[in-house]
Amino acid sequence: MGKKRTTSGEGRERQRLPARRFRIAAPRADSADGGSFFFPLLGLTDRGFSDCPDLKMSRVTTALGGSVLTGRTMHCHLDAPANAISVCRDAAQVVVAGRSIFKIYAIEEEQFVEKLNLRVGRKPSLNLSCADVVWHQMDENLLATAATNGVVVTWNLGRPSRNKQDQLFTEHKRTVNKVCFHPTEAHVLLSGSQDGFMKCFDLRRKDSVSTFSGEATEAGQGRWASLPVAQRCILRILHSFAHGLMRDAESRANEAQESWGCPDYPLGLCSGPQAGQSESVRDVQFSIRDYFTFASTFENGNVQLWDIRRPDRCERMFTAHNGPVFCCDWHPEDRGWLATGGRDKMVKVWDMTTHRAKEMHCVQTIASVARVKWRPECRHHLATCSMMVDHNIYVWDVRRPFVPAAMFEEHRDVTTGIAWRHPHDPSFLLSGSKDSSLCQHLFRDASQPVERANPEGLCYGLFGDLAFAAKESLVAAESGRKPYTGDRRHPIFFKRKLDPAEPFAGLASSALSVFETEPGGGGMRWFVDTAERYALAGRPLAELCDHNAKVARELGRNQVAQTWTMLRIIYCSPGLVPTANLNHSVGKGGSCGLPLMNSFNLKDMAPGLGSETRLDRSKGDTRSDTVLLDSSATLITNEDNEETEGSDVPADYLLGDVEGEEDELYLLDPEHTHPEEPECVLPQEAFPLRHEIVDTPPGPEHLQDKADSPHVSGSEADVASLAPVDSSFSLLSVSHALYDSRLPPDFFSVLVRDMLHFYAEQGDVQMAVSVLIILGERVRKDIDEQTQEHWYTSYIDLLQRFRLWNVSNEVVKLSTSRAVSCLNQASTTLHVNCSHCKRPMSNRGWVCDRCHRCASMCAVCHHVVKGLFVWCQGCSHGGHLQHIMKWLEGSSHCPAGCGHLCEYS
Amino acid sequence: MVSVINTVDTSHEDMIHDAQMDYYGTRLATCSSDRSVKIFDVRNGGQILIADLRGHEGPVWQVAWAHPMYGNILASCSYDRKVIIWREENGTWEKSHEHAGHDSSVNSVCWAPHDYGLILACGSSDGAISLLTYTGEGQWEVKKINNAHTIGCNAVSWAPAVVPGSLIDQPSGQKPNYIKRFASGGCDNLIKLWKEEEDGQWKEEQKLEAHSDWVRDVAWAPSIGLPTSTIASCSQDGRVFIWTCDDASGNTWSPKLLHKFNDVVWHVSWSITANILAVSGGDNKVTLWKESVDGQWVCISDVNKGQGSVSASVTEGQQNEQ
Repeated sequence: MGKKRTTSGEGRERQRLPARRFRIAAPRADSADGGSFFFPLLGLTDRGFSDCPDLKMSRVTTALGGSVLTGRTMHCHLDAPANAISVCRDAAQVVVAGRSIFKIYAIEEEQFVEKLNLRVGRKPSLNLSCADVVWHQMDENLLATAATNGVVVTWNLGRPSRNKQDQLFTEHKRTVNKVCFHPTEAHVLLSGSQDGFMKCFDLRRKDSVSTFSGEATEAGQGRWASLPVAQRCILRILHSFAHGLMRDAESRANEAQESWGCPDYPLGLCSGPQAGQSESVRDVQFSIRDYFTFASTFENGNVQLWDIRRPDRCERMFTAHNGPVFCCDWHPEDRGWLATGGRDKMVKVWDMTTHRAKEMHCVQTIASVARVKWRPECRHHLATCSMMVDHNIYVWDVRRPFVPAAMFEEHRDVTTGIAWRHPHDPSFLLSGSKDSSLCQHLFRDASQPVERANPEGLCYGLFGDLAFAAKESLVAAESGRKPYTGDRRHPIFFKRKLDPAEPFAGLASSALSVFETEPGGGGMRWFVDTAERYALAGRPLAELCDHNAKVARELGRNQVAQTWTMLRIIYCSPGLVPTANLNHSVGKGGSCGLPLMNSFNLKDMAPGLGSETRLDRSKGDTRSDTVLLDSSATLITNEDNEETEGSDVPADYLLGDVEGEEDELYLLDPEHTHPEEPECVLPQEAFPLRHEIVDTPPGPEHLQDKADSPHVSGSEADVASLAPVDSSFSLLSVSHALYDSRLPPDFFSVLVRDMLHFYAEQGDVQMAVSVLIILGERVRKDIDEQTQEHWYTSYIDLLQRFRLWNVSNEVVKLSTSRAVSCLNQASTTLHVNCSHCKRPMSNRGWVCDRCHRCASMCAVCHHVVKGLFVWCQGCSHGGHLQHIMKWLEGSSHCPAGCGHLCEYS
Repeated sequence: MVSVINTVDTSHEDMIHDAQMDYYGTRLATCSSDRSVKIFDVRNGGQILIADLRGHEGPVWQVAWAHPMYGNILASCSYDRKVIIWREENGTWEKSHEHAGHDSSVNSVCWAPHDYGLILACGSSDGAISLLTYTGEGQWEVKKINNAHTIGCNAVSWAPAVVPGSLIDQPSGQKPNYIKRFASGGCDNLIKLWKEEEDGQWKEEQKLEAHSDWVRDVAWAPSIGLPTSTIASCSQDGRVFIWTCDDASGNTWSPKLLHKFNDVVWHVSWSITANILAVSGGDNKVTLWKESVDGQWVCISDVNKGQGSVSASVTEGQQNEQ
C-alpha cells in the first residue's frame, strides 16, 4: 500500500496549514501487514514535534489511499465492565477503560485481539479506575484517562517500560467525568470534573494551565480582570495558540515552554472559585473547527461555551436540557453545530454560530442520553446510547426525531462508550458496555426500525369509505412542508415518487385522505336504505315481495329486485286465494301486481319455457287451481301446491344449479311464454295466517300485451348483458319430466335455500335474512338453525353498526331463532326495590337482605307472593291479585293497615 | 370510481402509521411517529380533532377501537414497547391502562370480537404475542405466547366469533361456547393461527406458509354469510394471499394468490361485508379487489389509475365493472 516512512526532518513543512491537516503517525508495526485499513486522503504532514524525544523514533507518515476498512459485526469479552472506549486514529486499535480494566485491543478482520494491558503493578490504584479515556487523534502513542478519584493520567505507549504511565495530574477533587485532547494541538488536554471545574493541561507541564469554573457566569463579572498576573498569563497562552500553527515546531515549543511554564504562576488564583459553588461538569469537548472554543455541559442542564484564552468567564451559556446534560459532540463538518444529550431523553442540536444558541433539531429517545456521537460522513446522523434502562445503541437522523434510523442490539447491559471507528467511515461503530463486552457494529447489520415502520395506514370504513394515510413525498416535505396546497380534493400526493436512492432524506409526513367508493366498490348506502325501506312483516307475502322488489329496483339493485319478484311468483299462487272474493278479483290483482314485476319476470320466464311444455303446464295449472279452490280457505295442503312450472324456472335461472340446454332458449316463441305467466305463481300453504293473501294471478291479456311489445325483448337483452357481472348464472330450461311428475314438496325450498346461501356468501346477509323472515316456515326447515342464527346475528350486528336500532329490533322480534329472539330479553334489566326499606333488592330471592324481611308479602293473607303481585304505588303495600281485588270490594283503605287510601287502576 | 371525500389535516409531525375508523364509522383514530395518537370526528366529511393523546415515548404503530358496548376505548401500541389503552370518560380521553410486558417494539394490536369480552392481542418485535383480558375493576390479566414468531410479530387479527360445531350438539338456551382464534403474521414469513384451549392456554393451531418475506399484515375476514373462514395476508415480498378454509375443523387452509405487486404490500383491509378487500402497497396506492364468479380475484378499483403497472387481470376487472 502507499505507505511511506519519513523521518521527522523530511516531513517538516513550514507552510501554514489548516489546523486539521497536520498529523503525527505513530509506528504501525502492528498493522504494517494490515494494509487494508483505510486512511483518508488527507495531506498528512509531519509537523515534527521534536520536543518529544519519546516520539522521535516512531514518527511515521502514513498515506494509505484507496483501501477501505473491512470487518464484520463482532464482539469480544472483556474481563470487566467498560466505562469508556476510544479509538486510535489508525482505526486499528481501541482502548477500553473501566473501573478495573484498561486494555488496548487490535481490531482485526474477524476478531478483537488484546494487545496491551495498561493496568500494571501489583497494587490496584484508584488512579486506574477510569471514568473516561481518550486517545489522541494526532499521536498514536498518547492517551489520557480520567479517574474516579479525580486524577487525570496520561499514557505514553512509546515508553519502553511496561508501565506506560506518563503524567499524573491530581488537581480535581472529585471524579473526572471527561477528558478531551485538543484536536490539533498535541499537548493540550482538557478535563471536566464532578467538582465543577474544567482544567486545561499542557502535557509539558506538571500542572494545569488554566481552570474554568462551571459556576462562572456568562460575560464574567470581572473576577479575573483584577488579576493582572493571570491576565498576562492568559494573553500569552493566547499568543502561543494563535501563532503555534505557523511556527516551526521547535521555536513554537520553546515559546510555549516559556509562556506556559511561567514558574510563579499563581495556581491558587487560577482555581479561584470555591468548590461546591459549581455545578458538576459532565462533558467537555473542543470544537473541531474553532481553535479556541470548547463546550462544556453541566448537571443543571446548562451548556457553556468557552474561549480557552479566557478562563474568567464563559463566552456563552444557555440552558439546553431539563436536568443534567450528560454529553455533547461537535459536528465534524458543520462548524458550530453542537449536539447535546440529557437525562430528559432528548438529543438537541444547536447552532452555535448565531448570537443565541438556536435549537435546530430535537431527537426524542426512549431513555436518558449518556453519549452522543455524530456519524462520520452523514451530515444528519448521530449515534446515542443510554446510561440506564435501554441497552441499545441508536443512530438517529436528526430530521426524523422520533424513529431511529438504525439500532444495534448486541449489548445485554448498558452501553457506556461508543466511538466511530474512523472519522471518515460511517459504517463501523465500536462500543463498550457494562456487560463486559466490546463490540464492533456494522451499520448494514443494524436493525432499522424505520424499515419496519409501516408508512401507510389503511382502513375500510363502515360506509365503504376508505381512510388511507400515506407517506408524503420528501421533496414536498423539503420544499416548504405544505402538504395540502392547492385543490384539496385531489390526492396529488399519491403521484409523487420517492427517491429510492435516499429513502431517509428528509422530514417525513403523511397525508390522510378519506375516499368514497362507488356502490359497486363497497359503498354501504344501499344497505342503510334497503334496511330502512324493506317491509318484513305485517302485509301479505306478495305485497311484501313486491314492495321489497320495488325498493331494490329503486336502489338500482336489479338482481335483488328480480329475486323478490320471483319469490313472489314462487310462493304466491292465485290458487292460494282463499275466498271466492279474491278469485273474482283476478283481473284487478293482476294489474296491480304486474307493473312491479316489470319486464324482468317476463324475461325470466322466457328462457325456461319450452313450447312443448306449455300444454302440460296449463294442465297442471288447472289441476292445482281446482285443488286449491276445493280446499277451504284456511288450510291448503302442501302436496298440491309446490308443483308449478313457471316458478321453478326463474329459480333455476338465478341459482344456476340445474343443467339446461341453452339451445332451447333461443327457440322460444315469445307468444308461448305469456299464457304461462299465470302459472308461475305458486300456492304455498305454510304461510302464517295473519298474512292475508290477496295475491292473484296476473291477467293473461295484460301479459300478452307486454310480451308483444318490442320493448320487452330489448330489455331482455339488456338484462342478459348485465347479468354476468353480478352472479353466476346459466340459463336453463327445465326438463319436461318435472312438469309431468309431481314435484317433491321441498323442491323450491332447496332452490330458495341455495339462493339465500348465495346472497349470504356475496356478503348480502341482509337479503338472506329478509327473505328468511318473510318466507318464514317455508324455508326455515331447509336451512340449519346454526346458519340462520349466524345470518341473523351478522345482520343485527351490521344494523347496529349503522345505528339502525329500529330495524335491528324488528329483526330480532321477527326472528324465529331462539338465540336471536332472546337477545332483547338478555339486555333487559328489571330493578326491584324492597317494599319495606325502599332499597334495591340485590338478591334474587324473596328476602331483602337489608331489612331481612320478605319483600313481597300479601297484605291480606300474609304469605309471600310468588306470582302476580299487585301493589298500591302510593304506599307500596299489595298482595295477590285476587286477595287485593277482594279486599278492595270491601274497603278502599290499605289492607296492611297503614291508613293509606289505596288506588289501583 | 374512487374519489376523495375528505382530506384530513392531521397535523401530525411525522409519518402516520395507522388510521382506524371506529365501529360506527364516525371517528377516525390516527397514530404517528411523532408519538401521538389523534382522534378526529369525520362525520359528514368533517374533520374535527377530538383528542390528541400523548403518552407514548416512541412512534405509535397501530391503533384499535374496542366494541362500543364497552365504552369508547382505544388501544395503541408503540415502539416504546408499551401498549396503552385509552378510554373516554365524560368527554375526555385518558390513559386507562398501560401494558409494558414486551421487550421490544409492539407492532400490532387487535381487539377480540366483543362476544368474548374485552380481550386485546398485541404482537411485538420480541417475537411474543400477549393477550390482555379485562377482568373488571381496572384490572387486566396478561397471557403471553412467547416466541410466537422468531424475529418478531408484525400483525394480529382475530377470527370472528363463530360457534364451533353444529347447533345440534349445542344445548339450547345455553351461552354458546366460543372457540377463540386469531391469526398472526411475522418476520419468519409465516402466518400462524392460534386457538385457545379449554384450559385457557393458547396453542398454535396452524402454520400457513406461502410468503417469501416478512408478513406485514393479516386480516381475518368478518364472517358475514357462510361459515367459510377467510384470511388475507400481505407481505414484504409484494404478494397478497387469500386463505380459505371450508372445513369446519379449521385444519385445511388453501392459499390463493390475489396479486403480486412490485413493491411491499403494507396493509390489507376487508370491507365490513367481507366481499371487497382493500390493499395498500409501497407505491402509495390502494387497490380494491373482489372475487369474481369463477373464484378469481379482480381489481375493481385503483385509486392511482394510470400510475405504475396495471396487470392484465386488473384491466379485465375494470372492464367487467364498466
